[in-house]
Order: sequence, then C-alpha cells, then structure tokens
Amino acid sequence: MRRSLTAEQWDDISRKIQSSTLTLAQRAALRFKLFLEYESDWIDAAERIPARRTLASFPDIYAPGEKERLTSGFHVHEQGRVCNISSDWAGVLREGLLPRRERCAPETVQCIDAALEYADRYGDERLSQAMRTGASSFLDALRMFRILHFCLWASNVYHNTVGRFDQYMYPYYVADKQNIGLDSATVLSLLEEFFLSFNRDSDLYQGMQQGDNGQSMMLGGCDRDGRCAVNELTSLCITASLNIRKIDPKINLRVDKNTPLELLVKCTELTRLGLGFPQYSNDDIVIPALVKLGYSIEDARDYTVAACWEFIIPGLAMDIPNIDAISLAGAADTVIRAKLAQCRSFAQLLEEVRAELFARADALEAALKPIWIEPAPFQSALMSDPTRDISEGAKYNNYGIHGTGFATAVDQLAAVKKYIYDERSIDPNALLDAMNDAFARSAELKYKLRAEAPKLGRDSECEPIADYLLDAFADSWAGRKNERGGVFRPGTGSAMYYLWHADELGALADGHMPGEPLSANFSPSLLVSDAGPLSVIQAMARPGIARVINGGPLTLELSDTVFKNDESLEKVGQLVRGFIILGGHQMQLNAVNRQTLLSAQHDPDNHRGLIVRVWGWSGHFVQLDKSYQDQIIKRTSYKV
Amino acid sequence: MNGLVFDIEEFAVYDGPGIRTAIFLKGCPLGCEWCHNPEGMSPKPTRVRTLSLCARCGVCDAVCDNPDECSACGKCARACPNSCIRIAGRWMEPEEAARRVLRNERLLALSGGGVTFSGGEPLMQPDFVIETARALGGVHRCIETSGYASVLVFERVIDAMDFIIMDIKIIDSSVHKRYTGVDNASILRNLDILISSGKNFRIRVPLIPTVNDTRENLRQTAGLIAGAKRLEKAELLRYNKSAGAKYAGAGMQYNPSFPVDVDPNVYIDIFKEMGIPCDVL
Repeated sequence: MRRSLTAEQWDDISRKIQSSTLTLAQRAALRFKLFLEYESDWIDAAERIPARRTLASFPDIYAPGEKERLTSGFHVHEQGRVCNISSDWAGVLREGLLPRRERCAPETVQCIDAALEYADRYGDERLSQAMRTGASSFLDALRMFRILHFCLWASNVYHNTVGRFDQYMYPYYVADKQNIGLDSATVLSLLEEFFLSFNRDSDLYQGMQQGDNGQSMMLGGCDRDGRCAVNELTSLCITASLNIRKIDPKINLRVDKNTPLELLVKCTELTRLGLGFPQYSNDDIVIPALVKLGYSIEDARDYTVAACWEFIIPGLAMDIPNIDAISLAGAADTVIRAKLAQCRSFAQLLEEVRAELFARADALEAALKPIWIEPAPFQSALMSDPTRDISEGAKYNNYGIHGTGFATAVDQLAAVKKYIYDERSIDPNALLDAMNDAFARSAELKYKLRAEAPKLGRDSECEPIADYLLDAFADSWAGRKNERGGVFRPGTGSAMYYLWHADELGALADGHMPGEPLSANFSPSLLVSDAGPLSVIQAMARPGIARVINGGPLTLELSDTVFKNDESLEKVGQLVRGFIILGGHQMQLNAVNRQTLLSAQHDPDNHRGLIVRVWGWSGHFVQLDKSYQDQIIKRTSYKV
Repeated sequence: MNGLVFDIEEFAVYDGPGIRTAIFLKGCPLGCEWCHNPEGMSPKPTRVRTLSLCARCGVCDAVCDNPDECSACGKCARACPNSCIRIAGRWMEPEEAARRVLRNERLLALSGGGVTFSGGEPLMQPDFVIETARALGGVHRCIETSGYASVLVFERVIDAMDFIIMDIKIIDSSVHKRYTGVDNASILRNLDILISSGKNFRIRVPLIPTVNDTRENLRQTAGLIAGAKRLEKAELLRYNKSAGAKYAGAGMQYNPSFPVDVDPNVYIDIFKEMGIPCDVL
C-alpha cells in the first residue's frame, strides 16, 4: 500500500529539514527521524518479518537549487550519496546499537534513537532489546536485520547490500538448534518469508532500471582465518530462493577449487529458473588479488559484493566501486583511426593503445576530484567504526573503474593484426574509409570482419592480445592514489556503460556497426555467434585478471534446453567447476529461450513474470527499456 | 582423409558421459521423416539461411553465379548485408578437428567427458572419424550412429571408440523402410556385433507418434538388448516438435506423414520390466 504526503505536510517537512541553520548531517538526521515518524503510523505489528514502506517519496535535505549550488565544482557520483557499500551486519546484530551510540557523532545518535523508537512501535520486547543490545535468536536477528535494512533505505542511502548472510546468521542458527530445537523446516519457512520481504518495497528502490537495487546476498566462501565457511544455512538460503522465485535477494556464491559439486549443482537449479543468479566469485583468484591491492588478508577473506559484482569488505570499506568507466573499445578505435596508417608494426600499434589508456586514465583521474558525498549519519552507525561519518571515508577508500567493451577492443586489434600487419591483405586506408562510411560500399569486407576475423572466445589467437590489454589497463591505473588516499581498482564490469559507450562508437575494425550494443561485462563480443561455452570459458579465464579485479563477470547464456534432467544439470555444475579450476574470477550463467524473449517484447502483458539478467542484477524483462531488451536478445545468439 | 563437418558443438550435454564436444558430420544414408537436422542430410556443402533475419533485399540473388543449382560457393553469404546466410559443411582435416577438441581437453577431462562423433551419419565418413579419433590421444571417444553401414565399416569404427550410442528406430523392416527410406537388416546385424563387441554402449529410441511408439515395437526393441552386458541404458527421446523449424532455411520441405501434434506413448515400463535402465529425454 502506497500513500503520499499532502502538500501541506510536504511543505512543512521541507521547511524543517532544509533549514539553513542546520548542517547537512543534521538535516539528514532530522529527515530520517521525521520519515520514520510518518512511517510509524502505518506499521503492522502482527508481521513476523516487519517493516513495509508506504511513502513513495519524502522531501530531500536540500532547498530548491541548493544542491546544484553546493556541488558546483565537485564530482558528484551518481546521486551524490553513500551507496553500494556493505554494512557491518555481523557486528550490529551481535552488539545492537547502544554500544555504538556511546561512541558516535550527535547526528548518528539522533538516527539511532529514531530507529530504536521506530522498532519500539512494534511492541515486541525482544525486538526492542535486540535493537539495543544485540539479537539472541535466529528470528530476532531476522527481524532486527529487516528493521535496519528498511531504515537504511529510509535514510536515503541506496544499493544496500545484504552481505555474507549465511555467515553472520549462523551463530543464531546454531544456538537456536541447540537451545530450542529449531529445525530446518522452520528455518526454511522463516528464510522464505524473510527473502520475500526484500521484494515488498523494491519498486521504490530503483537504480538505472527497475530491479537494479543492489540487494545482493553473498553465500559460502571462507572465514577470516581462511577455513571453509560453507554451512547448513548456505544450502538453506539457496533452497529458499528456489522456492520463492523472486529477483531479490540476488544470490551470490563464493567458490574455490574445493567447492563440492553438489553445491554447484544446487545453484544450477537456481540458474535453471531463469532468475539470472547465482553469480559465482572465485576465492582462489579474488582473495590474493585483493591482498595485492592493499587489503589485509583477513579482510580480503571476508569480501562480499557491492550491488552487482564489485568486491567490497563489509563494515570497513567506503570504496566507490563503480565511480566511472573507461571505454576500452573506444580506446582501441581511437588509436586505430589515428595511428593505423603510421604504425609500422602491430607491436607499435599496441604501444599506442597502451599510451591511449594512460591518457584516458589521466583525464578521468583528474575529473573525479574533488568528490561530493552527502553525510550519511544512519549508515555510519552500521559501520565497524561508527565514530566517523562514513561519507568521509573508512579503512578502505578505493575507487573502482569499469572497463567497457573489452572483447570488442581485443577483436578490433586482432582483425587489424591479421589483415593489416600479418597477411597484409587489407590496405589500412581502405579499412579506415570503409569504417568511415559504416561499410556501406564494402559488404564483403564487413562480412570478413564480422564472420571470419578472429574473435575472443572463439579464436585462441586473440588471447595474447587480451592479455596485453588487461596488463595495459592494470598498468594505466597502478600507483595512482585518489584524493582519499585509496587506490584505483580497474575491473571487468561494464554496468550500463555497455550501452552508453556503444552510443559513442561508429563502425569498428571488427565489423561492429554504429548503434550495435557492446557485450556486458567480461564476455565475448555480441558478434560471436558460434563460440562454444568451453572455448569462451577457456578464453576468459585469463591470468591477467588478477590485476583487473574490481569485479565484472563472464556472462554465459545457455539455452534452457541444457537444463532438462539431473544429468545435464550436473554437467552445468561441472562447467562452473571447470571455470573455477582454470582460474576464472567471476561468472554468471543464464538460462534463456530466445523465442520467449522475442514473444515477451511483442506481448508484454503475458510475460510479466519473465526475469532476465541485465548487467549485474536481475529484472523483469517487460519493465526494461527496449535498448536493454534488445541487447539481451542479441546475447542469446550463443548456440548451445 | 578429410571430413565434411557441418557443426562442432561445445558443451553437448546429451551426447554421452560428461561434458562433450560433438562433431557433426554431414551426409546421411537415411531420410527419417522426423529428422531435426536437415542440413546434415546431404553429403555436400549446402546453403542455409536464417529466414528471420532475411530482409528480402535480393543482394544474394544479384551476386549469384549459379542461380539454377546452388554450388555452395558462399558468395551470397559474404555479400548478405544481414549476415543471414551460411554454408553448412566445411572440409576439414582430422588434425584440425582434433585440435578444436583438444583445445578444451582439460575441461572435457575434468567432467569425465570427451568427443562425440555425430551427424548426419558419421559412419558415412569412417576414415575421417577413425583418423580424428586417433589424433585425439587420450580423449574419451564416443559415436552417435544409426548403425547403418557395412559390417566392415561398423567394426572398424566402433573399434576406435570408447562408447557407442546407437539408435534402434523401428523393428519391422517394411515400416522402417517406409519412414527412414532404408531397410533395417544391416542395422540389426550391426546391433548384434555391438552387443558382442565388448564396448560400452547406450541405445536410443526416438519416440515418433503412431510410427514406433507402440507396445509391440518397444517390446521387440527391448527384447533385442535385454541382458546385454555392456548396455549402459536405453534412452527414449520424445519426438522433437520443433523438428521442422530448420527445413525452410535449408531450402527443403518438411512433410511428415505422422501426426506431429500428438504426444508419443512413453512406455518406459517395458524396458524397466526387462531389467533395462531407461531414461526419457
């Protein structure tokens, strides 16, 4: 049920929270308090998993025009607010808010008090106690999480991730099993109800598109000492997700070479549902790579994902893992257009690509400062160190830089290497001319480039170029520090840049046409229709990935016919295991039926339930803009 | 001896144990009414179009040098502005085919999988199959076959394999001839050879509504393989209702004489009662 404030209420609240006598932190705290007060009138105390948002919108802390004035001259990341980070759920659930209240700033104290007051309205002594001094049962911990998570959204921070749920909930599960004989069936029904609650308000939590809300949950992996931490909850959570069939929470699984095949097969059942998850992250690759970036080994072992795939440490990181992106496809194109005719050798051309990446890094680094981030007094209460406003930084303050169109960059260079430098069968100026008129008068050349030229994922001759490009991308950001003292983490994600950067491209040397989308994340180009999944996995499990480790998965679309029986499900699990053993860093599989997608585009009313993976999240197909729908349909050309 | 290959499919999950790479060989001596790989029938390269992408622009006709009889020269494929034409069938050396498989050798081995020769009918190109199998070293080798070949060819090829998947479509020879175009005497003879060969094998029965999904046919089929020591299992494959989808693009007509919308009988109990492990796909 949704409602709106009256015009008078809106004006009244705006006047209060936009008062020029208040600092921004004070305004944020007051806004949060008032918001919860309004929501308090609408609580349903009978709900086992509490909290439901009724107000679709609430006044901002800035007076009209004020935000533009204040942020002028700053780099504003997305909405200019804290987002995409992971709270210290383990610590907060264990200790409650009171110990933090002792140590934090007055604005955070005010927020904690407002949250406690809101929880008290449920009239549940156990819940009130849990919020103050920590949860003492599995159900209390779920109820408390739900209130805190609801409050995070209410506090205007966004992409509020769920973190390592099976880890921080496990102590309560074990204790309840021993103390009150909690059985698996009860836990499962609690989990299902809890998981469903993530979908209650998600229509209001919109990112770039509906479904892009960052409610990602990490399962499995190891503990801070490196011991395997897969537990009974890991599997129960997967079962709960299988049973509810909803896009939230989005399931992630940390894996390594010892992950049992049964667990991978169980996850494959989730893939079969077409939910677009789980996404797998390979501890064998990710943890050492994070250590190289400067994370302590214990913290690295505790990693989870931010909204999509970016690695982040719960409680300790104010990383901005998606601060911007470099168009790798664009960098290769720029060099080919400007330097192809002059460069005598392919090695020389590659050097130019490297120089172009450095130049783009220089420009982007300069553009990212000074950064503007609004204070987040309530989020601060949920961090490991609540004494400092999280918007000002934390133990880790690294910036993630996506790299878009990786495969298209490699393919352009591979085509040029083959036809211009090795075979000398195409004249460089003829190629550039054809690109300039989008192959309008050279259909044979276009066919050659699109269908016959080497492509990453299909032809192994592309792989040395892929390695060079990964290294050059890593080098272009190595040694740089951001203004908060953090490092830059180049990565293989694309986010929505796979469409944005594609808009900047004309016809390319790999036969890519203007207006065609790029592949999302770390995947072969959409021009490759005949690459098999084995060759793709082998091509994308590159050693150089260890230095380009911001996150960004290989996405493989498998026809839904691959998921017919137990035997074939096990083989999909084996495919995942193969990827892990070959040293891939992150992967996400989709079960797709091209015909279904095409039908859904023409007849959305009858396909309201159809779920697809977009870039780092799952959404309802019919709610996406057509450009995103089209890209997804193009991806399904893998022939399996 | 080069082979004519019309597809190499990685991650084939229904073509033998583990994850497999399937090599589809072009040309088949049978003409089963229900065949869902029409582009695999002709033993020559042929042109295939993806009609849903075709804009009817006519460029392909304009560049064609052999409008009366397609020579599969590929000129139209290169000229098509929508990339909707391809030539099915490429001559390949055994070493090249082996290289394609060996590239993913580790992934295949990790899952207990390997290569599967399929078609078309791979027994039509025995030397290529045997030479490719030899070039594959320790990779697990499997063939999917109709069993239609001379005894000599059949024995030579299965000898080069680790695992055989063979179809038994119809037991009655006249019905077999009517729906597949060939008599089944050599197939049944080769089945005997297979059973006594010492090779592990799997039997497949496509269930075609009203054609072979009768109790009698399935009882006779099960009777032929019951008790075979090396039989892994029988697999019943329901008729693929989208079998006709590729005919128009391959320039062929799909004219089945059986009712395509009827679900076939799946008498799995017949096999189970005779002690034959049996799955339905």
